[in-house]
Amino acid sequence: MTITGRALALALAGIVPVLLWPTRGTVVTWGLLVVLVCVADALLAASPRRVALSRRVPASVRLGEPATSELTVVNSAGRRLRALVRDAWPPSVAVTPDDGAAAGTAAVGAASARTVTSARHRVDLRAGDATRLVTPLRPTRRGDRAAGAVTVRSFGPLGLAARQASLPVPARLRVLPEFASRRHLPSRLARLRELDGRSAVQVRGEGTEFDSLREYVVGDDVRSIDWRATARRGDVVVRTWRPERDRRVLVVLDSGRTSATRIGTGLGGTGAPRLDASIEAALLLAALADRAGDRVQVLAYDRTVRARLAGASGPRLLPELAEALAGVEPQLVETDWPGLVGQVRAHVPQRALVVLLTALDPAAVETGLLTVVDQLTGTHQVVVAGVADAEVAALAAGRDAGTVYDAAAAARGDLEHAAVAAVLRRHGAEVLEALPDALPPAVADAYLALKAAGRL
Amino acid sequence: MRATLWADTEVRIHPAFPVLCAAMLLTARGTQLGAMLAVLLLHELGHVLAALALVVAVLATSRPAVSDQPYSPDSVAANGSRALAQVLARQGVEVRHVTTVSDAVRAATPGTTLLVAPAPLLGDDQAAALAQVPADLVLAQPGATLLDKATDGTVALDVTPSGGVRDPRCDVPAARAAGAVTLDATLAVTGPAAVGCWPAGEGVALAQVRSGGRTVTAVGDPAWLANSSITEQGNAALTLHLLGGHARLVWLTPDPLDASTGGGVSTGGSVLPPWAGVVAAWAVLCILVAAVWRARRLGPVMAEELPVVVPAAETTRGRGRLYRRARSRGHAAAALRAAAADRMAGRLGVPRNADAATLTDAVVRATGRPGEDVGALLYGPPPADDAALAALARRLDDLESEVHRQ
Repeated sequence: MTITGRALALALAGIVPVLLWPTRGTVVTWGLLVVLVCVADALLAASPRRVALSRRVPASVRLGEPATSELTVVNSAGRRLRALVRDAWPPSVAVTPDDGAAAGTAAVGAASARTVTSARHRVDLRAGDATRLVTPLRPTRRGDRAAGAVTVRSFGPLGLAARQASLPVPARLRVLPEFASRRHLPSRLARLRELDGRSAVQVRGEGTEFDSLREYVVGDDVRSIDWRATARRGDVVVRTWRPERDRRVLVVLDSGRTSATRIGTGLGGTGAPRLDASIEAALLLAALADRAGDRVQVLAYDRTVRARLAGASGPRLLPELAEALAGVEPQLVETDWPGLVGQVRAHVPQRALVVLLTALDPAAVETGLLTVVDQLTGTHQVVVAGVADAEVAALAAGRDAGTVYDAAAAARGDLEHAAVAAVLRRHGAEVLEALPDALPPAVADAYLALKAAGRL
Repeated sequence: MRATLWADTEVRIHPAFPVLCAAMLLTARGTQLGAMLAVLLLHELGHVLAALALVVAVLATSRPAVSDQPYSPDSVAANGSRALAQVLARQGVEVRHVTTVSDAVRAATPGTTLLVAPAPLLGDDQAAALAQVPADLVLAQPGATLLDKATDGTVALDVTPSGGVRDPRCDVPAARAAGAVTLDATLAVTGPAAVGCWPAGEGVALAQVRSGGRTVTAVGDPAWLANSSITEQGNAALTLHLLGGHARLVWLTPDPLDASTGGGVSTGGSVLPPWAGVVAAWAVLCILVAAVWRARRLGPVMAEELPVVVPAAETTRGRGRLYRRARSRGHAAAALRAAAADRMAGRLGVPRNADAATLTDAVVRATGRPGEDVGALLYGPPPADDAALAALARRLDDLESEVHRQ
């Protein structure tokens, strides 16, 4: 039971009798009157527990896109129901009044504790009536979000007091990764098409295959002329090549402790964990490699397999991949690199392109990845992609007496990263490090370069 | 003696204390703290009560029962009178401390002594009420009204006080027992009924009037009551004779806010209007209602499982702070130089493992700067202070931009 502002107004109105008869008895009588009226009002209210509730939410929604939660309220209390109904969702899903400015960003910081007015609904239902309450949602974080209980505060006929109950109505909303990097996809697909049908000889080699014959045009390399076909046709004909299809691409996301660090929590940064940038890169690379006709597998691993996708292709690939990666959260454990190598060997026995999305943290790489990179580069083409931090880049630009030490520390960190990258390259891996926004296109470009060079 | 008195404290809880605690608890309910307290009260009433009892006990035992009011029997200050009160108590005199005139009038029955400590704010009505008590009166530094009413106009204040050690020269037993004292003679005997002691010039230090079976004694100088001077000369004997005459002593140190006179209905010792208490009770009722209104939220708080907050730049910032705290400008400059050299070497096609001379030559060829200038910039001594370090960083930037312009 609870009371409303009207009960306070009733208590405040007691100043009139108190000033007319200034004795303690007046105050006590008025207090008893307020209590009695409130209790009677609460007893006359419809029972909040005898309300049938059901929720309908979409199974999944892309990060940053609006969704709605529909709550059906059926009044089976046998009395008129005047109530305030709260459809509670976690702060990263609920729409707050000033959400317009922050819409579309993947900011992680949960909204500070405040009342979410969009989740509150006033209902006035006769006995047996039903209504549908629509609560707008706008998720700002990836992952599975469970809805809270539905709270019904049923007011009495005078509006002085209310009965309240929180009823569990289970619901879950899966928030898929944003895939903001899909804007880079058209330009990379165009470059992929350029690779097809190129006649240049330097493209030909391991990993390329004969495509077709076509007429010679000025500028084609004369060494690619197919003399036998030319003699047959009476026209100069050249052979064209295309990159070999059906190569295997394995994208490995490191979900260990280095992926939990937040990138660019400072000014302008999203504050999202490093893993989110890795997921963006994995989505772009998977989409690109699938269009190029390669077979894509994705693995998220720290000490156990957190997510795995294999065998999907075409239009099914991206939805399934987004679904698989939506629930992956960074784990605060050290990544088990020998175990990861075992997983890679188990899933791709033949030569494949293995893209490791991790952090190029010198200490972690020296004790982890460096010890096993040889076992991978022996069979596979390995690309190690690290997520760099915009905040460190900003620190490196400090030039006054107060910030130059930070700049020196950032410079020392860059040197160490460069040294680690050089060691990894010496072991035969391709290494690239980029800021979160630049990482997906950088990984895609590295893939295209390897494909163009026939090194898959 | 004083040291032992001062070290001695006693425990006393003001009766309003638990009421105050309850009021605090109730008024806090409108706030978030109040909501928290309300939840606690519902779920862990026992713990809350135990904690409250603990707080009360700690506050009660840690609070010494002394006041700093002048001439109060509780005060251990130099102008307090605790030493006197304790000696009287040890002699079998029951000392009752009161702070309102009405209490004093009620307690001052025949066969008791009423001591009125210096009270400059005593009202005329209050002075009249005190002057009419049937008990023996001892007035310490009385005001003109009180003195006039208590002695029926036979003693007045002397405008020219004068002092010095002197003999009593009167037959008041207390004065004769005390002997020579240095009390200021601020009173003047104007009627035949009064006896004056320790005269100096026109004035006397002590004046006594016997009327209607009681004795009224006025002492103009209150120094004989104070902790600091009670042991001087005959002060102790004077006080014991004056105040120890009866088995019960009522000690009045009037509260400045007290307006009671002891006559008719007691007003509770308050200067507030009579309806104030009722309105306050109504206000408490309203606060209670408001607290209950705000205490319950609409359903439980929705929690969010947030990822851990580990900024990726944390280690870099930490290393920068270590450099700054250790003032290791050498290390910082070496890092900046090595990073710049690494980038320039990459730009100029110099291998990473090339020696200093090779890189310097390449940079000199690329920029046209003098060789020793480039050498000092890339491989010179560590800078002397922070400003020099910042300047070095900027000059490295300039050099690098010149290289990259090629």
